[in-house]
Amino acid sequence: MNDLLVMAQIAGRRCALQAGDVKSVIELGAITPVPRSPIFIAGITALRSQALTVIDCRIALGFREIAWATDHRAAVVAVGGYSYALIVDAIEDIATGQSTPDKVPGGFGSEWSRVATGMVETAIGPALLIDLPALIAGPETIGAAA
Amino acid sequence: MDDLLADFVAETREMLEASEGEIIAWEANPADGSRLDAVFRFVHTVKGNCGFFDFPRLADLSHAAEDALADVRSGRREPDAALVSAVLAVSDRIVELVDASEDGGACPQGDDADLISALKEGPQDGPVTGDPVDISASEDSAAPCDDAEPAQTPSAAPSIQAQRTIRLPVDLLDRVMSGVSDMVLARNDLAHRLRQAGTQPTIDGPFERLTSILSDVRDAITRMRMQRIETLFGALPRLVRDLSAELGKQVLVDLEGGDVELDREMIEMVRDPLTHIIRNAIDHGIEPPHERLAYGKRENAFLSISARQSGNTISIVVSDDGRGIDEQKIAAKALSTGLITQAERASMDREKILQLIFEPGFSTAEEVSTVSGRGVGLDVVRKNLEKVGGSIKVSSTTGVGTLFTLQIPLTLSIIAGLTVEVGPQRFSIPQSYVEEIIHASASALDFTQMGETALVTFRGQRVPCLALCDVLGLSDDPENEANRSMVMLRLASGDLFALAVDNIHSHGDIVVKPLAPAVMKSGLYAGSTLLDDGQPVLLLDVTNIASAYNLMSDARARVLADALKQESQAEQSVDRAMLFTDFEGRRRAVRLELVQRIETAPAQAIDRSTSSPRVVIDGLILPLIGLPEGPMPAAKIRLLRLTDAVGQLLYAVKEVDDAVALTGELKPVEDDPLVEAVTLVNGQTVSLIDGHAIFARYGETPKPVSRPQCRLPEGDWARTILAPLVTAAGYEIVPGASQDGEADEADEALTIWFEDEFEAAKALEWEFTGPVIRLRDQPDAATGSETIYRYDREGLLSALREARGARGTPHPETGEAA
Repeated sequence: MNDLLVMAQIAGRRCALQAGDVKSVIELGAITPVPRSPIFIAGITALRSQALTVIDCRIALGFREIAWATDHRAAVVAVGGYSYALIVDAIEDIATGQSTPDKVPGGFGSEWSRVATGMVETAIGPALLIDLPALIAGPETIGAAA
Repeated sequence: MDDLLADFVAETREMLEASEGEIIAWEANPADGSRLDAVFRFVHTVKGNCGFFDFPRLADLSHAAEDALADVRSGRREPDAALVSAVLAVSDRIVELVDASEDGGACPQGDDADLISALKEGPQDGPVTGDPVDISASEDSAAPCDDAEPAQTPSAAPSIQAQRTIRLPVDLLDRVMSGVSDMVLARNDLAHRLRQAGTQPTIDGPFERLTSILSDVRDAITRMRMQRIETLFGALPRLVRDLSAELGKQVLVDLEGGDVELDREMIEMVRDPLTHIIRNAIDHGIEPPHERLAYGKRENAFLSISARQSGNTISIVVSDDGRGIDEQKIAAKALSTGLITQAERASMDREKILQLIFEPGFSTAEEVSTVSGRGVGLDVVRKNLEKVGGSIKVSSTTGVGTLFTLQIPLTLSIIAGLTVEVGPQRFSIPQSYVEEIIHASASALDFTQMGETALVTFRGQRVPCLALCDVLGLSDDPENEANRSMVMLRLASGDLFALAVDNIHSHGDIVVKPLAPAVMKSGLYAGSTLLDDGQPVLLLDVTNIASAYNLMSDARARVLADALKQESQAEQSVDRAMLFTDFEGRRRAVRLELVQRIETAPAQAIDRSTSSPRVVIDGLILPLIGLPEGPMPAAKIRLLRLTDAVGQLLYAVKEVDDAVALTGELKPVEDDPLVEAVTLVNGQTVSLIDGHAIFARYGETPKPVSRPQCRLPEGDWARTILAPLVTAAGYEIVPGASQDGEADEADEALTIWFEDEFEAAKALEWEFTGPVIRLRDQPDAATGSETIYRYDREGLLSALREARGARGTPHPETGEAA
């Protein structure tokens, strides 16, 4: 397991995204809100002629309170043919995964277990490897309310 | 025909490439029947396609190969190496023939008996044709028209001629297209920055060139997505032939307008509906030959399919000369299924009844045949067409024939859209739904609240009204409520509803981009698009919104609405007029045909410096009448934009009331030359403006205008305090006083100087080509000074107005230079 990983802070935790999934990191410009969409969708924003769906990762995880400050930069990922911009607390670094994703005894907690593939060891410490489609699907309860 | 042939050649080559590997794999394991399918499909397709062209050799070859392979498939024959070789030889020969016919258009002469016999003799003689060399040798001798060198593989087949067409994955096209869209946006951004930086001839030239190249490329790319409808029509003769043979009917098919182009996605969308209608026509519409003879018709029925483009839509008409649709039968069926009631039946005319065949759950065929009536009804056809913004209708004459008209938009990805504003946000609405835009106060529209549903009165009809801010769950600004704009939307089903928005922004072509599934789930949006400034906006899904609010009528309501519509159409023949109140409080009306639009202009956009006031709207200077004497009555003035098709004229009004029918008697008026007549509307007298008289007196052809330019002195004060005032007075700020003093294109520009700077410039003997305003720092002026105190607002404004008047007729050629 020597994949490149993009290290990011989400909701105060260190997470890792497969670098292959991350198309770019952009400065977030103006976000056009999308009325009546699930609340974890912050809106849409333009990247060149493309429209990106902006996902607030904290809310997508199921955390209701917005206790963490977010970065002005966002990671652009492509899932299922659509492009998303992920709002995270901070984008830290690129690191090499040094282990296969592993479960930890006791799990990661209900919010995290849904989106985490497992824990990976990296040079800058352990991180949760995020399953992007699960993250973008958003928390079931909130998604259903929309 | 050439295109058909090219398609045939391309398709044959493509299938051959796919099947060649299969043949080899099949040879390695003759028992593997699945390999055979690809090969079989290849020869079968070739055989089928030969029917269009006069290629007897190809037909014979493919027919023989198909027979042999069919035997193998059905287990009558064991595949062996000899058969595989023979099939390979046949496919090689097919390629040679296809290549030759691509060059010459006609099939070369020759004899393929050797190959055909190789296919047949294989099983009896076993090893005789086992050696492929034998085959190529005999091929040589028997086919003198071919090249001396036998072609063993398709790559060796002669292909000297350059390819005229290539096939590309649609993905790649889409990527190129979005790349070009990106370039257009980058160009817009650059243009914006260049404008800010001012005129720079060394950059502007190449930039203009870039712009024109880019628009060329964009056109070309758009065309790349287009395909001739021929590709769809190509398969129809065969379909008709097979169907009519199956049903024992004789049908001549006539195709017209194959060169009409439309988006390739659209072609796929139309394929099924069209096939369905043709099946229907042959199965139900066209009578068996003996019946036709009995009616005195020709034995051969005639089916015509034609495509025509008009503007942004394509209409495809499928007509047959069959027995037509029996309205009694349709009505009876609709009654029995509860689609309509007896009372409704009585009020419906033939046309209405015929349209019932598109209602869900309708099928007149008494028994389900193999051809049509398989549960997929015309309702599905209509639904699929409506999904892409199309429509379908039918007309028919009993005993003479039936005519289906399909209307479909040219393309899905670029549509005309109207941008509306709600609160701080903008949304797009597909223009095709927009029936009319009304700027009017709630009272004029007779806004009423019935339970939870709001209604407005539009042309004497109560129409449900949705507030877009409610639909979207946005907070409602009560201040706006009284002064909303209504967009009247007509759904494909014919239902009308009003959508209240805060503002109408602009309209233009928009490129629709897909939205992520989580956003689509809300059911409110059809996609997103980018405005010129790069800001993304959401495209509203009007049909979905309407059905979420139950505004889409079912079949019964549809019929009733149609009846209403007809009534209102009858009403249309009456003269209609726009009722308004002018600034003297008089109720007046102007014929509706004259009213092009209702505009709203800020008071400062109105120039009253001359005896005839003028106003600039959409970059045009237009004459304005109807203003009261004295100060401006309001900060924003409603204007009726009148046109006589050439000239334009604005009429300032206090309030726009409603459009009314002029049913009362028109009593001519002698004393006021601008009034045509007086009439009664709702029991009150209204004077009708004489369109001829006002255009004769005030009308003029509009002149395009660029905003006059103004240079400001250096410094923060000028930039932050002076600039807004100058802009509000209708000027465009151009950067920096031209320091070199050269008389460039912008020499018409007004220049504002501080007195001391002006003196300095004068001392340097600069030429002042444009008008100049001089500012002084002190409130008190030396006598005889032409300066204006810099906080003398009135003085400044009047000087600005004066300078604008002195500028004379605008020069359109220099207008956009900066």
